[in-house]
Amino acid sequence: MSLVIFFFVFFCLFRVLHWHPNVGTTVNTQILNEVSQCVEGINGVKEGRWRATLNFYKPMLKEQANAVEFPRDFLGISLPEQSNKYYFVLRGQHLVLEAESSIQMIMEKLQSYKTRVALSFEGFQYQLGDFQLRVGKVVPIHSEALRGIILEVEYLPLSSWEKSHKIMAEFIDIWQDALSKRSLPGHFVHLETNFAEFGLGDQYTSQHTAVQYARIMAQMIASAHSTQAARN
Amino acid sequence: MECVVQGIIETQHVEALEILLQGLCGVQRERLKVHELCLRSGPNLGLVASEVRLLCDLEQPEPTWTVRHVGGAMRGAGAEQISVLVRNMVESKVSKNALRLFYSLGYRLDHEQLRVGFAFHFQRGAQMTVTVSSINKMLKLHATDDAVPVTPGIQLVEVTAPASSENYNEVVSSMSSFCEYLAPLLHLSKPGVSTGVVPTAAAAAASLMLDGSGTTL
Repeated sequence: MSLVIFFFVFFCLFRVLHWHPNVGTTVNTQILNEVSQCVEGINGVKEGRWRATLNFYKPMLKEQANAVEFPRDFLGISLPEQSNKYYFVLRGQHLVLEAESSIQMIMEKLQSYKTRVALSFEGFQYQLGDFQLRVGKVVPIHSEALRGIILEVEYLPLSSWEKSHKIMAEFIDIWQDALSKRSLPGHFVHLETNFAEFGLGDQYTSQHTAVQYARIMAQMIASAHSTQAARN
Repeated sequence: MECVVQGIIETQHVEALEILLQGLCGVQRERLKVHELCLRSGPNLGLVASEVRLLCDLEQPEPTWTVRHVGGAMRGAGAEQISVLVRNMVESKVSKNALRLFYSLGYRLDHEQLRVGFAFHFQRGAQMTVTVSSINKMLKLHATDDAVPVTPGIQLVEVTAPASSENYNEVVSSMSSFCEYLAPLLHLSKPGVSTGVVPTAAAAAASLMLDGSGTTL
């Protein structure tokens, strides 16, 4: 699977934004550095490294002709804040499952699905008052080929999605304003996620985060396909 | 990886077994009510057929779910000589929509059963679990309230202990020693090796019932 090179922002609790580069531009480490410097420029204090991983699974079939019967968007996600957990997301079925990380071993033993693409989200974590920010690059596992840039923003005092809307909107305005001064070649796009479709409530959990990751990846793939189509 | 042995006992002797276990383990029993769903991969899924079990613990105020995969047993001359089965086993606690996930992935329900009884969890050379349960089948899909015993009057006794490739010899030894204490009431052997009820069970049970609460060993 080819993924288009672009970068995006992921607001952990309340917003999912992704960054469309301007026409003719691509994401690069210079932009990643600019985003990181921007966080530090608004007094973000670097705390340490973080890493999440995302696996696209595909079925192992006896006859490929019947592949249409099986889900095409089956994702497995590990998150840094829940290192002993693993999340499966089936976007088409609006299904998210939280499991102990040993579920990965079970999937290996079943030999019914295997990893098609594995991506790593890794970078630095910052503290900014009551906000926690994570800036990182999106790269294939065992590769340094930059596929995107991610920024997670979490507002620590609240776990209610609804109640946090206003303060997150204000933070995003400040963030957008700070970033715009750097004249980066792109803009952020907000992706709404309907958590209720996945049976998730207002109290934010890591399952909400997993669903947002899946939403972003779907957008990346869609963008990759549209870019590929435009080239052809 | 886990070590496991199984045996059967007549329901009339279960109370005596409970007294014996109480004395041996020194801990309180826990009630057991588990809905087990055995799923198999659909005909086109996987290069080989696969099987996975979903266990729903109905004793909890809010039922909890576990995915269990039981792999192959240890083979070879060494494995043949020991009285305990050593096999691969991996478990993962999951959220409540695991059945829906596996259905979506192409797994199908092969069979389901309800295990009702009690369990003892204790440390005795190894971290062991003894379960004593009746196996029940559902007459309608998922109808656990209307389950009926598969073998009326007979209950399954299972002793399990987690192990690793480094320590399974010690675990097997601890488990074998423990099983000897139960020998008057039931014989425990590798799963699939049926040994039936033991002839001394009635006398042993009567003795235990007379003794009352059992003695901690």
